[in-house]
Amino acid sequence: MHRLTGVTMDLKQRPSRLAAAWPWISTLARLGLAAVFLIAGGLKVTDLAASARAVNAYDLMSYDAAKVVGAVQPFLEIALGLLLLIGIATRLSAAISAVVLVIFIAGIVSAWARGLQIDCGCFSKGGELTGGRTAQYGLEILRDVGFLALAGILLWKPRTRFSLDRALLGDS
Amino acid sequence: MSKGDRGRERAAARRIVEQQKAADRRRKVTIWTSIGVVMVLVLAGLVGFGVLSNQDKETDASRVNTPSVAVDDGTAFAVGSGPVTVDIYEDFMCPICHEFENQTGPAIAQLVTDKKVTVRYHPVAILDRASNGTQYSTRSAGAAAAAAVDGKFLEYHGVLFANQPEEGSDGLDNAKLIELGKGVGLGDSFATAVNDKTYDSWATKVTETFASRGYNGTPTIVVNGKTVTGPGGGLPTTEIFTQAVTAAAG
Repeated sequence: MHRLTGVTMDLKQRPSRLAAAWPWISTLARLGLAAVFLIAGGLKVTDLAASARAVNAYDLMSYDAAKVVGAVQPFLEIALGLLLLIGIATRLSAAISAVVLVIFIAGIVSAWARGLQIDCGCFSKGGELTGGRTAQYGLEILRDVGFLALAGILLWKPRTRFSLDRALLGDS
Repeated sequence: MSKGDRGRERAAARRIVEQQKAADRRRKVTIWTSIGVVMVLVLAGLVGFGVLSNQDKETDASRVNTPSVAVDDGTAFAVGSGPVTVDIYEDFMCPICHEFENQTGPAIAQLVTDKKVTVRYHPVAILDRASNGTQYSTRSAGAAAAAAVDGKFLEYHGVLFANQPEEGSDGLDNAKLIELGKGVGLGDSFATAVNDKTYDSWATKVTETFASRGYNGTPTIVVNGKTVTGPGGGLPTTEIFTQAVTAAAG
């Protein structure tokens, strides 16, 4: 009898403890993802020509198209970072982040598959790998998958602390 | 039905109405914040596009001073008059380019003397990020263009590599660039061009042409239209390079 009650109490407490932790886990995921995009965009935004070359290095589109993508991408990354930082429409922001990350991963995989020797340009103006340095596609993909996991957490549990969403919608 | 029962029912009905109102409000807030998110992203994209079009104006043909002596769509300086064309894309900040000059430069000079090759030097600026914001790559490429206009490209090209600053340092300042020019016999017109950044936007243009041709790194060495690399895509040895020239000569 004693043991049984003990078990049922444990069962009740564990999920509730986890439920209380989720908003905090999601908050960390949200702020982490915000930092990722702000840093990635901030590093590129100061030299759009270099950003264009980084996109062009993937050899997936014409140089003129790469120029547009290279110029728009850093601004999008910064905007996405800011939206995540203030925590507005978190689930949608997380979904867009996930889509963007999947595109990045696909780009790296395709560069790897075609045997290109390029810097992914994820956290740099990248693109050009001067002789001697080799591409580290595996690590770059692993890192992006990690970021994708952060977006996944937010998609699944979008309720976070210190967010505009919480201020507008309350705790419920 | 007792009084108490009716009260409970009314309270329950009120609760349901309130819950529905709250759900309604949540839905509205979610819709509006979502619209806000999409609008912010669209706006950010437009800003990027606007900044790009503004920058494109800078490298518009009418604004760029293309050196009169430049060849290959005004993007390079030719040395020699041989039948095989060797295109060398270099950034004066790039250590591997320096290494290539040290390693293969004498062989190239010999090929030029023997009238076997025409070398077209394309000074590109892809390492501006590696000079603490002083844009050494662009400034040095612009200075090289000024030297070419005054007939001293190869000489100046040589001293720029001999005095190459460390990657990640401030690079050489304009005064030093001018001093190096004086060392190879360049005068006041060169100094003015360096100080006025006369050919800096041209360097940007050359870099764009380089990228639009699908090249990513420096040095890029192209012999009669074919990129020459060493094993694993790295720097070609002098042997590999001269073999490529011999093959191209037929």
